[in-house]
Amino acid sequence: MPDRRLMSLILAAAMIAAAGAASALTTPGDPMRGKALYGVCMSCHSLDDNDVGPRHRGVVGRRAGAVPGFHYSPALAGSGLVWTPVNLDRWLSGPQTLVPGARMFFSLSDAQKRADIIAYLATQN
Amino acid sequence: MSDRNPKLSASITEAVGRRGLLKCMAWAGAGVLWTLGGGVASSGLLGAARAETGNPAKGAAGSLNFVQISDSHIGFKKPANPDTLATLRETIAHIRALPVQPSFVIHTGDITHLATPEQFDLAQKALAELSMPVHYVPGEHDIVDGSDPRPYLERFAPGAKGDGWYSFDAGGAHFIALVNVVHTGDGGIGALGPAQVAWLRDDVAHLPSSTPVVVFAHFPLWALYPEWGWGTTDAAAALTALNRFGSVTVLNGHIHQVQQKIEGHMTFHTARSTAYPQPAPGQGAGPGPLALPAEQLRAAIGLTSVTSRHVHGPLAIVDRALADA
Repeated sequence: MPDRRLMSLILAAAMIAAAGAASALTTPGDPMRGKALYGVCMSCHSLDDNDVGPRHRGVVGRRAGAVPGFHYSPALAGSGLVWTPVNLDRWLSGPQTLVPGARMFFSLSDAQKRADIIAYLATQN
Repeated sequence: MSDRNPKLSASITEAVGRRGLLKCMAWAGAGVLWTLGGGVASSGLLGAARAETGNPAKGAAGSLNFVQISDSHIGFKKPANPDTLATLRETIAHIRALPVQPSFVIHTGDITHLATPEQFDLAQKALAELSMPVHYVPGEHDIVDGSDPRPYLERFAPGAKGDGWYSFDAGGAHFIALVNVVHTGDGGIGALGPAQVAWLRDDVAHLPSSTPVVVFAHFPLWALYPEWGWGTTDAAAALTALNRFGSVTVLNGHIHQVQQKIEGHMTFHTARSTAYPQPAPGQGAGPGPLALPAEQLRAAIGLTSVTSRHVHGPLAIVDRALADA
């Protein structure tokens, strides 16, 4: 039954994708650890001031490219992304992979550290 | 280093005592002069070269004087220093007034804050007040859009190779400018990349091991505080190429404060910013600008004077805060 086999494949692929996408949500982030880890972000960012990067307060749930007064790359401004924890996890894994043409060249390979930082940012609204 | 930072002074004294190579013997205002010859420590004040020759226009015979400045962040206007152009100009005026004029100046990056044409213009115009050559390396703030070093290269290092690396000889020493801000590693740490390391190996291959080597780059070339990105992921590959040299001095910026480490015959030294200080490693939330009361700013920014008195000996390094300049 080709159709049934195709449906099974699609279902399996969807489950794999969902599992991958859920990694940021299922890896428990510790906001206290994230607060300490956030120091590495502070060369370019702070919670309340635009600098090399845009201010971070309220970033979780915010539309990408939406902070007033910050000059975004056209790529990020036009990305249509919303900074959900999942998208922030993908962004911190490799900004150019998620948004080619973005200007941020910082990445963190450690999933736990990403989850911790995102958990901290989620408390700073 | 500064006597205003007892914790740092203590850490250096501890490190020095452990290795038995250097001993802090004299404090000169906000700085201390380090001299090391054949493993025996000596020291003197910044004006010692003058006293030796009796001629304020010349340093000691055979000596080389140069000045390191760093992190001028032209364009930065926040409370930590609303006028970074003014403090850069103060620094330049101090250099021009030095009784022993340095042979050249090294700028270890973050010339500007956001690498805009206007900020580059202001910085170039101010630095043109220096009558001696200025040798630059870029900071990450000088790289347009985080990845394009070309506007920096066109203005500050037009003859450089790759992303801006080059070398030159002066006073019997070999100076190597490295770039570790264009391709950063995991967690924002600096990176040199294999092409630059290969160039470095080739660049020093012909030099006798007795040649004093001075390396300068923006990010520290030692793991100063990787948690804040203060280090260079492949520094070991570069430093291995310099292991055979009897005297290696590594000058960095980026962290806006004086930190020093001695490892065998290698001395690592980071300079103050001419713009604003940053917290000590791990102290406070992170490596952002540290806003001090206005009357304290000039005690926390400044410049570094370096003297090579003997071509085969290590260099004497003096850090001076603008308040004491």
